[in-house]
Amino acid sequence: MSEPIIKVERLAYSYPRKELVLYDINFEVNKGEVLGIIGPNGAGKSTLCKALNGLVPHFYGGKYGGRVVVAGMEVLEHTVAELSTKVGIVFQDPEEQMSGLALTVWEEVAFGLMMLGFPKEEIVRRVDEAIKQVGLEGFEKRSPFELSGGQQQRLAIATVLAVKPDVLVLDEPTAQLDPIGKFEVFSVIKRLAAEGSTIVVVEHEIEELATFADNILLLDQGRVKAYGPARDVLTQVEKLKSLGVDPPSVTELTYLLNKELGANLEVPITLDEAIKIYAEALGVS
Amino acid sequence: MSAGISLLKRTAVEANTIFQRLDGRVKFLYFIWATVLVYIFYDPYLTLAFLIVTLAMAAYAKVFKPIAMTLLIIIVPWIILGVLILALPFGFPWNKTVIGYINVLGYRLPVYLEGLGWGITWPLRISVAISSALFFYLTTNQAKLVATLFKMKVPFKAIYMIIATFQFIPLLFDEANTIIQAQISRGLKTDVGVLQRIKNYLAVVIPLTISALNKVQTRAITLESRGFSAPVKKTFLYEARLTAADWAFLGIMAAVTVFLAWVYVTIGYSPVAHLQWIWA
Repeated sequence: MSEPIIKVERLAYSYPRKELVLYDINFEVNKGEVLGIIGPNGAGKSTLCKALNGLVPHFYGGKYGGRVVVAGMEVLEHTVAELSTKVGIVFQDPEEQMSGLALTVWEEVAFGLMMLGFPKEEIVRRVDEAIKQVGLEGFEKRSPFELSGGQQQRLAIATVLAVKPDVLVLDEPTAQLDPIGKFEVFSVIKRLAAEGSTIVVVEHEIEELATFADNILLLDQGRVKAYGPARDVLTQVEKLKSLGVDPPSVTELTYLLNKELGANLEVPITLDEAIKIYAEALGVS
Repeated sequence: MSAGISLLKRTAVEANTIFQRLDGRVKFLYFIWATVLVYIFYDPYLTLAFLIVTLAMAAYAKVFKPIAMTLLIIIVPWIILGVLILALPFGFPWNKTVIGYINVLGYRLPVYLEGLGWGITWPLRISVAISSALFFYLTTNQAKLVATLFKMKVPFKAIYMIIATFQFIPLLFDEANTIIQAQISRGLKTDVGVLQRIKNYLAVVIPLTISALNKVQTRAITLESRGFSAPVKKTFLYEARLTAADWAFLGIMAAVTVFLAWVYVTIGYSPVAHLQWIWA
């Protein structure tokens, strides 16, 4: 078994002069794995994301306990700038992630590499590659502020990909997007996941998350309520509902059919699985 | 959207004339040089000549419109107000030479040369400063601007503050519009007296300030996550370096400086209009 690229041990944290927002968090992420983090608002999901690249505690301060190790670097012992080559983080609001120094999409993607002092030739190569990865070819000379929400979020992902971090952290990347924007961003995430990127993603769109997450971590009020393979967590329908998290519709439907009508169906977590299971149950091909 | 705001929304597509290709430092020097010279001389014709040259260069560089719009909005009202206040008999001690009379509401008022000269020269000087500064800003590609300022030993954090401010002002205006609309939807009355209108501003300014502070924090987090504070030598995609065109431009500026120094010594500070210093 490969060495975990992210190791979180007994992590506890509180913002300055506030109550604890994370209690005794433990989990691991292996290389090439996708971890989905779910939970109601205020569960501590975003704080946990910020703990992975050192913004917690270096930027915010506060009380910190336990250990977070990413790509062999203990977060507490390295600056956010040092960790930025290991962990790339994408936030909710795409517009707020723009550097403010770049006039074009191309320059925006180059910004992080320039800040990190990469050689010019390497910057050119990596920027072109990252723009291609998120499907923004042809937009290189456009202003970042002229793009749609989905395009801006893909640009934000490209800015991170250009640095080639070991881990990509996406904190509700589709929260502020319209359906088309969500579709565009999920397409990129799924492609990156299929290509073997290590991704930690906070997402409320559980139906989508179920299609590409290997493991799921369920947070509530700063505590881990469930953690394990996506199927094991997402099929805990009662638990998810009690915490205000909607499981995938097909999962809930099948769970209720089993419970209320005594059906004995395997519980799916994606639409594709559901079609297969129901087709078999109904005897149609 | 006002001209001032649209001016800040520079597009990425820029013309590629000789002025765009000039080094940013040369254009910055032109801004300082022209501004200082029009302040040394007190002559509306000479100041106008500087303004015309700057606007001609701006027109060639295809950035005439935003500069002209800014001047129209800021300078024209200033000249009208300045001339009216300074040239008419409001008791200013420098007004001595009467050059004519005008009828205002049945009163025959004298127009003074000193006030007229000052009322025109003063805003024109500002015009030269504004137009040459905008000429520098609008014809210098942002990547080149950053490299130029860095080469001028401006600390990188200060460069960021200067450049990013220009980009974020339009966003702040958009945010203010959203807040105003939201407050109006909640019953904020706009057809009210001046005092109530000032109170209304609080309903916009407070949420705008909070929102701006939140945005600044998010921006700081994002920049930090992208290596902004990394203790390494930053890479600039553009190298600021002087070319033959830059040297030629500097040469013209040097020649004009020598010529104007000779004019100042032999003719004086108002070589064309022959105005007297108003406080003399």
